[in-house]
Amino acid sequence: MTGHRDVATVGLGGPVGSGKTALVQHLVPRLDDAGYDVGVIANDIMTQEDADRLRESFSDRLPPDLVAGVETGACPHTGIREDPSMNLAKIDEFTERHPELDVVLIESGGDNLAATFNPELADYFMFVISVAEGDDIPRKRGPGVTQADLLVVNKTDLAPHVDADLDVIREDAATVRGEDPTAFTDCKADEGIDAVADAIERSVLFA
Amino acid sequence: MNDRALLTAMRLSDSMLPVGTYTASYGIEQYLNEDEIETAAGLGDLIEGYLRGVIGPAETVALGHAHRSAAAGDLDGVFAADERLGAATLPAEFRDSSRKAGSKLLELLADTDDGAAASRSSDPADAADRTSSAGDAAGLGDVAVEGVLAEYAAACEAGRTDGHYPVALGVVCQRAGLDAREAALVNAYASVTGLLAAAQRLGRFGHTAIQSQLSGLFPAMETVCDRYHDADLTAMCSFAPLADAMGMRHERADRRLFMS
Ligand SMILES: Nc1nc2c(ncn2[C@@H]2O[C@H](COP(=O)(O)OP(=O)(O)OP(=O)(O)O)[C@@H](O)[C@H]2O)c(=O)[nH]1
Ligand SMILES: [Mg+2]
Repeated sequence: MTGHRDVATVGLGGPVGSGKTALVQHLVPRLDDAGYDVGVIANDIMTQEDADRLRESFSDRLPPDLVAGVETGACPHTGIREDPSMNLAKIDEFTERHPELDVVLIESGGDNLAATFNPELADYFMFVISVAEGDDIPRKRGPGVTQADLLVVNKTDLAPHVDADLDVIREDAATVRGEDPTAFTDCKADEGIDAVADAIERSVLFA
Repeated sequence: MNDRALLTAMRLSDSMLPVGTYTASYGIEQYLNEDEIETAAGLGDLIEGYLRGVIGPAETVALGHAHRSAAAGDLDGVFAADERLGAATLPAEFRDSSRKAGSKLLELLADTDDGAAASRSSDPADAADRTSSAGDAAGLGDVAVEGVLAEYAAACEAGRTDGHYPVALGVVCQRAGLDAREAALVNAYASVTGLLAAAQRLGRFGHTAIQSQLSGLFPAMETVCDRYHDADLTAMCSFAPLADAMGMRHERADRRLFMS
């Protein structure tokens, strides 16, 4: 029997509105085109309407039963860290119906800078922040920023409008993350996403 | 109760236990969506209704029967408790939450509690069987391979039975050396604190107000566990029509942060 231990899992965490869903929507076509079978789990999508909209947005790429919501009882970090059992149960449902599945993208509910993914839930953990919430986020050294396998700095297009200095973000990220990589994306213009897809492929799919 | 059993009881009723119970509100979210709970006292009364209408006459009856069946090595008896509890639980989301938590409990223990000897069955013949296992680090012994618990977990994984939480808890507690009444109290405490915590995260209740309600519910917990832990399975009933209606309306609610 296949289950959550047989499929690669990628967690996307980060503050509310930083662009996690946007990033998932840009990653799925790339992974799909590269020949991978992909599933998507979104935590805390709040309403059935949101769930339907999400499913609709992947309708030309993914079967509807591989796009699912998981409720986390108003505790988004618990769902990805202390008790990922309901996310794992959903992955098991995916793999039972689609044993050929290669990778599941798990979007956390929007949370604070301390939210990290349980390593038994996500093989690869990306933390998505946005430049619009301030260019000082990396140097606050939140565990999400420091421990993620990949830090994604999204909405680079907005930097000039909110007086955010991308060089400051880049330098601070290097300081607090050491050797670990940081990617810069603009989901509106579809820029920088290839690097993120490559990182996923290299880290969890080629292995 | 010996120390090992007490520690296991605390482990099983601790909100830290990673079996997804924090995602279930069993209708509380919908009561709050519909502005039906106004005060902490009102919340306490509502939960007392759950105790007297569901947790006692349905969950505790199933748990007690599962406990007795496990002690007798009667796997079919455990399945019967599962089947009847599922049938008595009307809202689909309540059944789903209960099934997921029970299955996750069994999976978790199979992953974590292996190899070591522990106090569990009170049957000395059973205990003699297990003297070969070494160490005493774990609470439940080799859950993955031995006895009714292992067979039940396997049946659950294979989809041959539902693995409802109170039933799984009854089997696990029996293995850990808790008697049926103690096991029922573990379930009642975990259920009540789960409901209170759900309400606290969604509504605006103070921490002292919630703790007052919790301690105020102790007598009702004792009463229902006392009354139902040794009841016959055929006497099972569930009567909480409003909670059932809330559970069903929750499926199509405008706001859903909880699975039930
Ligand atoms: N300008 C700009 N807007 C973006 C970018 N990425 C996302 N957005 C917008 O930012 C808003 C939030 O994006 P989402 O992808 O929903 O953010 P999220 O992290 O999934 O949000 P939650 O799930 O609610 O935590 C939306 O209006 C997006 O269109 C970007 O790179 N540039
Ligand atoms: Mg989102």
